[in-house]
Amino acid sequence: MHPAIARSIAHTGLWLLLVLPLFLALLQARGPDFADAGAVLNWLGRLTGVAGLTCLLLAAALIIRVPGFDRLFGGLTSLWKIHHRLGAASFLLLLAHPVLLSFAASDVSLSAAVDILFPPGGSVAAFFGWWALIIMMIFLAPSFAFFGQPPYQRWKWVHRLSGVAVVLALVHTLMAGRTFPPPYDWFIWLTLAALAATAIAYRFLFSRRLGRRRYRIADVAHPANNVVELSLEAEGRPLRYRAGQFVYLTPYDRKLATGYAEEHPYTLSSSPTEKHLRVAIKDLGDSSRALQHVTPGSRVRVEGPYGDFFPEHFGRELWIAGGIGITPFLARARHLEATGERADVVLIFAVQDEARALFRAELEALARANKGFVLVFHFFYLEGPLNREFLGRHCPDFAERDAYLCGPVPLMELAAQFLQEGGGDVERIFTEEFALL
Amino acid sequence: MRKLTYTAFVAFWACVMTLVVTEALTSASPEEEHALPKYTQAEVAEHALASDCWMAIEGKVYDVSTYVPRHPAPPSVITAWCGKEATEGMRTKGYGPDHSPAGWMLLERFLVGELVE
Repeated sequence: MHPAIARSIAHTGLWLLLVLPLFLALLQARGPDFADAGAVLNWLGRLTGVAGLTCLLLAAALIIRVPGFDRLFGGLTSLWKIHHRLGAASFLLLLAHPVLLSFAASDVSLSAAVDILFPPGGSVAAFFGWWALIIMMIFLAPSFAFFGQPPYQRWKWVHRLSGVAVVLALVHTLMAGRTFPPPYDWFIWLTLAALAATAIAYRFLFSRRLGRRRYRIADVAHPANNVVELSLEAEGRPLRYRAGQFVYLTPYDRKLATGYAEEHPYTLSSSPTEKHLRVAIKDLGDSSRALQHVTPGSRVRVEGPYGDFFPEHFGRELWIAGGIGITPFLARARHLEATGERADVVLIFAVQDEARALFRAELEALARANKGFVLVFHFFYLEGPLNREFLGRHCPDFAERDAYLCGPVPLMELAAQFLQEGGGDVERIFTEEFALL
Repeated sequence: MRKLTYTAFVAFWACVMTLVVTEALTSASPEEEHALPKYTQAEVAEHALASDCWMAIEGKVYDVSTYVPRHPAPPSVITAWCGKEATEGMRTKGYGPDHSPAGWMLLERFLVGELVE
C-alpha cells in the first residue's frame, strides 16, 4: 500500500473512533428543550462525559510503540503530540462534566446542585468519578507543567497513575452513565477499553520482553567533551532501520552513576549499511551524562526503530541542524557515502563556536567526497542568530528545496519562519524534535 | 496548552468551592417538619400528562412535571408512568437496575404529598 494511503486510513480511523461515541450519544440522547437552561446544561454535561472518556481511552491506546506503526502518524513524536492533545482535551472535558451536571441541577435547588457533586449517603459511582478526576489532576500536573517542569523519570512514574484513572473513569461511566441504553454502553466502552488495554499490555509486557534487542557496546568514541558516540554490536537479530530514525536505548551497566535499566530515546547516527549501530549522545540530563562514562563491553537493549523524519524518496534538500541535532543528518550523510547515492543537499550546521562543531572533520571529509553535498557552518559567536540573509547567501534556492530541521526548538522556529518568509512551502518543511518521549 | 489546562483546573475548583460554600451558608436554617397533604391514587391519576405528571412512589406522591424534560432516558420511558404507581419504574428503570442514590435524592425535591388509600 502507498504510504500516503496508509496514513490517510490511520488518521481517518482515529478520527472515526474519536467522534463515533459522541455521534451515537447525540443520536441516542434526546436533544434538550433549548428554552430550559437546566436541560441544556444536563445534556452538555453528559456529552462532555462521553467525549472526555473517549479522548482518555484513545490517548491510552496511542501509547503503543510498534516500530512502523508510528510512521502512519508521521513518527513517534507526532503520535506523542496526538496523545498529548487527546489527554488535554479529555482533561478539559472531564473537568467540565461534573460542573455542568451540577449547574444543571441548580434550577431545582442549590442543595440539588451540591448533591450531584457529593451525593448524600455516598454513591459508589460518584466516588469513582471523583477519584478518577483527582488522579488525572495529579498525573497531568507535571505533563502540563502546572508547578514547573519535573525531572523526566519522576514525570514518567507519576504518569503511570493514568492507568488507575482510566479504570476508575470507566467503572464510573459503566455505573452512572445513562446516555447509552444497555447493553450498548458496555459494548461501546469495553471496545475502546479493550483497545487501550491491548496497547498497554503490548507496551509494558510484550514489547519489554520481545521488542528489545540485545546489543553490546563495542566501542566508545568522544567526538567532543560532552558528547559520546557508542558503537553497538548485535548479540542477536540486528535492527533494521532507515537513516535518521531513533531507538530507545536501555543500558545494563552496573557502574553507571544513574540510569541503569532506564530507557531513553536516542537518534541513530550510523548508516543502515554499517555492521554496528551507532548512537551519538550529548550530556543533556542525568542519564545521558552518566552514559558519557559507560563501560565498553557492557550490555544494552535497543527498541525500535521509530521516527519518520526522512521520506522514502529524496529531491533537492536543505538540512538545518543545531548542536546535537546533527545526528539524523550525520546518519544520512554517512549513508549517502556508503551507498554512493546521488544527492543535492545543503547542510547548514548551526553551532556556538568551533569547539562545538561536532563531527567536523568527518562531515568535511564527507562533503569533499560527495559533490552533491555542501556543508556550511554557522557560528553563533560570529554571526549571531541564524537569519534569512545567511540562508540566502549559502543556499539561494532554499525556497525550492525540501527543508529538514533538527535542533533546539528556538532554532527550528526561527529557521521555519525564514523559510516561509522566503517563499518556502510549509508542507515541505519537516522537523524532528527532541521532546519528552 | 499549559495555560488552558491550568486555567480550567483552577476554574473547576473555584466552581466546586463556590457551590459548596454557598450551599452551606444558605441552607443553615433547619427544615421544618410539616404534615404533607394526602392524596389518593385516583387524585394522582388526574395528573397523567407529560406536562402535568404526578407519580406515586413508595407511599409518597411526587410532581415531576418540571423534571420530565430533563430525564436522561427517552420521554416515553418516563411519561408512561405519569399518574400511576411508579415504584417499579423507579426501582427497575424498566429493565432491571435501581436508580442511583443520587437519583432517589433528586426525587425528594419533587415531593408534594403522601399517598392514602
